[in-house]
Amino acid sequence: MFLAPFLILFTLFVLYPAIQSVPLAFEQTYGPGERVRVGTRNFAYLVEDPLFWRAVRNTAAYTLGTLVLQLPLAFALALALNARRLRGRAVYRLIFFSPQLMGIVFASILSGLVFEKRSGLVNRALAGVTGNHDLLAIAWLQEHVMATLVIISIWLYAGFNMVYFLAALQSVDPELLEASEIDGAGPVARLRHVVIPSIRPVATVVVVLAMLGSLQLFELPYVLLDGGGGPNNQGLTVVMYLYQSGFRFGDLGYASAIGWALAIPLIVLGLIQMKQLAPERVGS
Amino acid sequence: MNAPGVWFMLVRTVSNGIRAILLVFVMSVLIVLAARGEREDAVEMWIFSPEHHALYQAHIDRHDLGSADPPLRVSILSIEGIQSRVLGGVYGGLESADLIEVERAISGPLFLAPEGSVGLRNLRPILEREGLLERFNAPSLSPWARGDRLYGIPHDVHPVLLAYRADIVEAHGIDLSGATTWERFFELMRPVMRDEDADGTPDRYPLAFWYTQKHNLELLLLQGDGRLFDEDGRPTLDEAPNPELLARIVSWCLGPDRVVVDIDEFSASGHMSRIRGDAVAYLCPDWMCSIWRSNTPQLGGKLRLMPLPAFEEGGRRTSVRGGTMLCFPEGSDRFDEAWSYAKELYTSPELARELYRTADIITPVTSLWDDPVYDEPDPFFMGQAKGRMYIDMAPRVPKRASSPYYDRAVEAVRDAATNLAGWARGSGTRDRDALAERASVLLARAQRRIEREMERRVIADTGGAP
Repeated sequence: MFLAPFLILFTLFVLYPAIQSVPLAFEQTYGPGERVRVGTRNFAYLVEDPLFWRAVRNTAAYTLGTLVLQLPLAFALALALNARRLRGRAVYRLIFFSPQLMGIVFASILSGLVFEKRSGLVNRALAGVTGNHDLLAIAWLQEHVMATLVIISIWLYAGFNMVYFLAALQSVDPELLEASEIDGAGPVARLRHVVIPSIRPVATVVVVLAMLGSLQLFELPYVLLDGGGGPNNQGLTVVMYLYQSGFRFGDLGYASAIGWALAIPLIVLGLIQMKQLAPERVGS
Repeated sequence: MNAPGVWFMLVRTVSNGIRAILLVFVMSVLIVLAARGEREDAVEMWIFSPEHHALYQAHIDRHDLGSADPPLRVSILSIEGIQSRVLGGVYGGLESADLIEVERAISGPLFLAPEGSVGLRNLRPILEREGLLERFNAPSLSPWARGDRLYGIPHDVHPVLLAYRADIVEAHGIDLSGATTWERFFELMRPVMRDEDADGTPDRYPLAFWYTQKHNLELLLLQGDGRLFDEDGRPTLDEAPNPELLARIVSWCLGPDRVVVDIDEFSASGHMSRIRGDAVAYLCPDWMCSIWRSNTPQLGGKLRLMPLPAFEEGGRRTSVRGGTMLCFPEGSDRFDEAWSYAKELYTSPELARELYRTADIITPVTSLWDDPVYDEPDPFFMGQAKGRMYIDMAPRVPKRASSPYYDRAVEAVRDAATNLAGWARGSGTRDRDALAERASVLLARAQRRIEREMERRVIADTGGAP
């Protein structure tokens, strides 16, 4: 009974639409009123749709950037903030976490100004520091869209993930650390053999959530690139393409097909990752 | 057991959490039903432009249309809000206004509809019957026509001129009267590209443009008689003169001798660039004049307008950008009253005059072009009769296709331009013929993408371009 409110809402707004989207993926629509059954045509088109594969490549690149750059940075920040002699830990935590407080839409608008071609803060800083005025012409939002998105996401989310890592680090048993220190383990060895195994459950969750969130990237490029994918669709993501197909062009059937093309690998990837990163069972 | 009994049993057996949700549900329904009330018997008009709203509201107040029978009520929604609600009305039969001003971007999703399901009234019969069709500037009707059907009446023409910093041009001793082609224009403007501050880059560039600006790219293609769709709605991205035009336009952006600079049109930094004079000339549709006037008043008295240099001697010296139409959802049961108000708002000499004075926009109603307001000198543009200059170009604006894939085609052309520029930089190619050949390949790929999308749709009436 305590679960009932959640179950009702989940059924109405998640489960039922998800089930409905299965037959919808085999139809072509113009809004919800006009529908024609097209069999597997949507999926056949998806396989050959260059825009869809562009979106997949972009999304994969962004996810890789998140996993390879953002998460290690978040962990490094957490390690730094976990230092015993560090003063003002709460202040630093707030500073690194604060981008999350402004909301992604505002952060996207702000990023658009910061990365502008000649007058943006980034190019002006680069040109000012190096004295090379050619750097003013770096077209971040026209020629380096994905790199820009990864940089912005690092600024937005590193602090958020840092908080999780920091909480996990602070829950590592100090006696284990002390014992390993007494046994002669250096900082790297302690990190590798004590800290990382201890925080593995939290790290697993953070990695999986970061990956799933990255694969569903939408708001940041949508606001930054004015609802489109930018020049040459460099910023087009799978969810953005789904949105455009369904709500800009009214083809909810094709949008559903895109949705399932994203959802199934997401589910499989998530399960694999949970299994890979889960702690080993004792005696197995 | 009756319904109240079932309801009572249900409430008794569920948890407090469920009871709370049910209570909120019931209260919400009651509140929504109570707040709805009766729909006022008024002609409802939705628009997205605050400037239009001010104009219409002043007209409504002056002529007491708010107390007429039925009254006219004008509401502002955002462009996205209007798009959502119009599409909601078309897709799901949701309640909509009686007349709606929509921006061109909405025509794509609307015209994807199957035949008979566009959801807007065909206005051609009534326009012909009342002798109004010939009063409108013919090219301005093209984006809203599908085959022999006309789904909206145009609000504007939006011809394009070239606005340039006369103070900078005169300081360099340049005379632009001979700039009848783009090549000649860039040649005459070479002196502005000196590097007087010795930072290794030109101080200024002749023209503000970049190949990633899809609307300006479209504008230039149309100026050069490029077409994205033919009369039957078939895409023609890779057909002449598009590849040659694309090659020429992209070549302006390449190498150390490039003659254009990327300046954002609507941001604060873009306005600062304009004030600094980072570019001397700008592609200027009529509506851009009021944006400059309000955002860069410092440029007052420093700008002049001239016809666009043509791509070839004797070629077209204007183009078109943007557009708004007034449409009438089929679900409205007040069409006659709405049509009466539409005619009043769209053919009123008074409103046309005010539209030009407040927003610099030229009416598409040709019989109103004789108004002396268009001959008034504009001090912002050094006393030029700006209105008359735009009106002189209005009949020559290029027609645009009304294909539902038009926006996608424009984006595909922009992507082709981006790829062409990347290829040219990577290979060091500057030869115009080689660029045109590569552009042809890229445009063919872009066209194939659009064709496949069109082939996939089994539900659409792709209609024909006018």
